Amino acid sequence: MSQNLELSIFEIVGSPLCVASSDGQKVHDRLAAALREGRSVMLSFHNITTLTSAFLNAAIGQLYGAFSEEQIRSLLKVQDMQPDDLALLKRVVETAKQYFKDPQKFDQAVQEAQGDDNNGA
Amino acid sequence: MKFSLPEIRHNQAGFEALITLQEQTKDCLFDDIAIDMGTTGWFDADMCAAFGAILYRMGENLNTVKLTNIRPNVENILSKNGFLSHYGREVIPDHWGTTIPYRRFDVKDDRYFADYIETELMRRSEMPAMSPGLLKKFRESIFEIFSNAVLHSRTEQGIFSCGQFFPARHQLDFSVADLGIGIRQNVKENTGLDFAPEDAIAWATEGRNTTKRGQIPGGLGLKLLGEFIDLNGGCIQITSDAGYWRREKGKTVAARLSQPFPGTVVSVEINTADTQSYVLTSELSEADIF
Repeated sequence: MSQNLELSIFEIVGSPLCVASSDGQKVHDRLAAALREGRSVMLSFHNITTLTSAFLNAAIGQLYGAFSEEQIRSLLKVQDMQPDDLALLKRVVETAKQYFKDPQKFDQAVQEAQGDDNNGA
Repeated sequence: MKFSLPEIRHNQAGFEALITLQEQTKDCLFDDIAIDMGTTGWFDADMCAAFGAILYRMGENLNTVKLTNIRPNVENILSKNGFLSHYGREVIPDHWGTTIPYRRFDVKDDRYFADYIETELMRRSEMPAMSPGLLKKFRESIFEIFSNAVLHSRTEQGIFSCGQFFPARHQLDFSVADLGIGIRQNVKENTGLDFAPEDAIAWATEGRNTTKRGQIPGGLGLKLLGEFIDLNGGCIQITSDAGYWRREKGKTVAARLSQPFPGTVVSVEINTADTQSYVLTSELSEADIF
């Protein structure tokens, strides 16, 4: 049984346009199943022309809710990404880390806004 | 019942006029609604998205809607983009290819929407020769707007879109409207923050603010869109509930409308003469993502 799995996003989504959160969920489900088994995954973006944050949040961002940064860093690799898509993925990943690791900060942002609102009232 | 519609431009006054129509007709049920467009001397085609949403809502209330006395210039453009075919007119050919057709989508129509954008926007020979980087960013922005409506609006009546290209102005306008709960209500339900409608829009477009809760993070879509529009030199307008918010050249304007729009409209103006490459100068390694 292979320890290393290669997943093609194009094969999973069936389109070069990776824009829907629901398509991202399909990618996530395969990734999560592999990571739970401790398998290394190479995620290929070959032939993908368009990505949205909604797709990447569902596909990859939500992994940070179930797996540690160390697990993801050691088991998940990406390839065939254009530089601007890499930059988008990086932002999605950083946002997800904050979202799951530091929910207090998100709540704090809300509270700060509430404070501003109250002050302005 | 009979209502009169003034000119509809792609600006705050245009949204205000459509909202007034919505307010006047919101309680109509099993009624014959005639909208007199004799005084509608101009209609920015992308505003068909918001107009179509309001008319669709009238239809959902089992009203019969008729558009009357449409001036020839307005009838011409609204026939070319297919809008009037929803109200008993024929589609007429768009020989100049400057219209991006009016469509209604359900929230599960992501693929259909993607095909529409590719066919009607990206692969059209009449579209301006935008740089590959701009085209990619533009395409991503359009999809971010649609995804935003799908993820946040909770609309059951659909998502409406329409656009128009102005070759002489090097400008492409595109709007997406939904009949969902609106940004203010969404923020309130998910965070407890009870903002004024225009402040709720501003909040949703800032920093890491997000109304997403649960397993899938969020909070980037509108921010990415704003960043692109700033670089491109275009403009973004958001109308939601009774809030109006506009960002242009890095400056924002927020205002209160007289009545609420029954959902959210996101409207972008793209500068098609933008020659920026949008290629990142800093190299980010694939090994340095997670």
